[in-house]
Amino acid sequence: MINHHCVPDFEMDEDYSFPTSSSAVSRSRKSPLPEEEIVELLWQNGQVVMQSQNQRSIRRSPPPKLEQENDNSNNNHLFMQEDEMAAWLHYPLDEDNFCAQLELLDNNNNMNMSSQSQTTTQTNINPMVRSSQPQPQPPPLRPPIPPSRRSELAESKMSQVPSRQKGYYDDETNKRMAAAVRESSTMVDSNETCDRSKVEMMTCEMTVTSSPGCSSASAEADQKEEAAAGEDRKRKSIEADDADADADAADECHSEDVEFESADAKKRVRGSTSTKRSRAAEVHNLSERRRRDRINEKMKALQELIPRCNKSDKASMLDEAIEYLKSLQLQVQMMSMGYGMVPMMFPGVQQYMPTMGMGIGMGMGMGMGMEMGINRPMFPFPNMLAGSGLPTGAAAHLGPKFPMPAFMPPVPVPDPSRIQSNQSEQMLNSLGAQHPSQSWFPNFTDPYQQYVAPHQMQLPLPQNQAMAQPSTSKPSSSRGPENLDNNQSGT
Amino acid sequence: MSSRRSRQSGASRITDDQIIDLVSKLRQLVPEIQNRRSDKVSASKVLQETCNYIRSLHREVDDLSERLSQLLATIDADSAEAAIIRSLISQ
Repeated sequence: MINHHCVPDFEMDEDYSFPTSSSAVSRSRKSPLPEEEIVELLWQNGQVVMQSQNQRSIRRSPPPKLEQENDNSNNNHLFMQEDEMAAWLHYPLDEDNFCAQLELLDNNNNMNMSSQSQTTTQTNINPMVRSSQPQPQPPPLRPPIPPSRRSELAESKMSQVPSRQKGYYDDETNKRMAAAVRESSTMVDSNETCDRSKVEMMTCEMTVTSSPGCSSASAEADQKEEAAAGEDRKRKSIEADDADADADAADECHSEDVEFESADAKKRVRGSTSTKRSRAAEVHNLSERRRRDRINEKMKALQELIPRCNKSDKASMLDEAIEYLKSLQLQVQMMSMGYGMVPMMFPGVQQYMPTMGMGIGMGMGMGMGMEMGINRPMFPFPNMLAGSGLPTGAAAHLGPKFPMPAFMPPVPVPDPSRIQSNQSEQMLNSLGAQHPSQSWFPNFTDPYQQYVAPHQMQLPLPQNQAMAQPSTSKPSSSRGPENLDNNQSGT
Repeated sequence: MSSRRSRQSGASRITDDQIIDLVSKLRQLVPEIQNRRSDKVSASKVLQETCNYIRSLHREVDDLSERLSQLLATIDADSAEAAIIRSLISQ
């Protein structure tokens, strides 16, 4: 056929059935030219297809052929009037192009086993026209005709087939593509509401041509699945979920296509197994990350609450938080104790005030000591030294404002009862020795002040030891022996 | 699992054991958490409760300071109690 077209066969003139077929084709193509122009138009349009060797149909201007179709159509009239020789002269110019186009056409014809000549011709013409010359004519032909859309799809597929066969996919894919091409060609004949499987096949394989629209959603899903199946091995990350989902969806889609199943199913099965595992791991990682983010967020909030916290290390920051929390508790205790004390204080207390001074180590013990110290001046006969007595005494004196018993943590305080019992002596001894300050309250604030003014920090341990030691030592305090006696009696 | 943790927390340079230890200390201090089963309390929960507790303590300190200052106004400024209260407020 190619030869027929390439070589000027004069005998073809008689046998030439082009006028009839061409007219039909051109009519189907909806060429804008009048009927009588059909012959030339077809010949024009095809440029190469229907290259009639008829001299009468010889066109005079091959260049217009190369150029826009409109020009060619316009030239048709001229061609008829043109001298044959002149047209012939232009042939050689087109010949190369013509042959190439014919070859392409032939390839398309071979690949496209469509039974319909019309569509075949159409498809043949269109890609050639497009490949050779981007012309406006093909587009007008395609849109109005539904089959043309399918043919367009087929064209693109066919045009892309060679490139795809180059090596993008394995032989299996090529086979599938060939099958798809065949399918597409048959689809041209089928109705426009294309078969889902076939459309999927085409779209999946080509992935370039979008489905005309009949099942774009499924096509996209299949495209995704196709890509996912291909990359499933590599991708074992968040997309694993999507890949797995798509794979599951694709299983239903491609049940009809054996080739797909054989090739993709294996991939999907392997992918789903691994993706499930990886997905579980991914989920775990995500949850772990979320948990850590929550914790970090809370740590930052905590850091903001702590005054003068410049630690970037989590451990040290938590340490500071713990200390600050303790000091805060102590401060609250002090304040509440003092608040409760003030209304109950009486002048006798003044002499006892300057003697109190304690380190932070006796935080809770100090609190209790403070309480005792405060209570003692107030009540010369306090029975608060007893461990059990103190809380009741405190409760009695300070009422509900004093939260100390509730705050008292058992761990840091070595022996609350012991401290309570010894508090009076210890406090008196240590305080008298260390801080003959006017007011013992500032000493009590030291535990907290160490956060405000670190230079005032006192060593807790010595305080503890100092206080712990004179457990049995009695009296020699400036407090007043009668109080000690009273305390001792109360012990 | 510890390897995973270390890989993840490379930037923080702290082990989970440290955090657990500190969180347990915090747990002892915060009264609300003390009443709960310690093994079920998450670090995040402990941190949250600590923050809340600190805020409540702040509020309490402010409230007490205000009351003490009010009280200070009612008593003799030269008294020892006044000194005590002043020291308390000045913390």
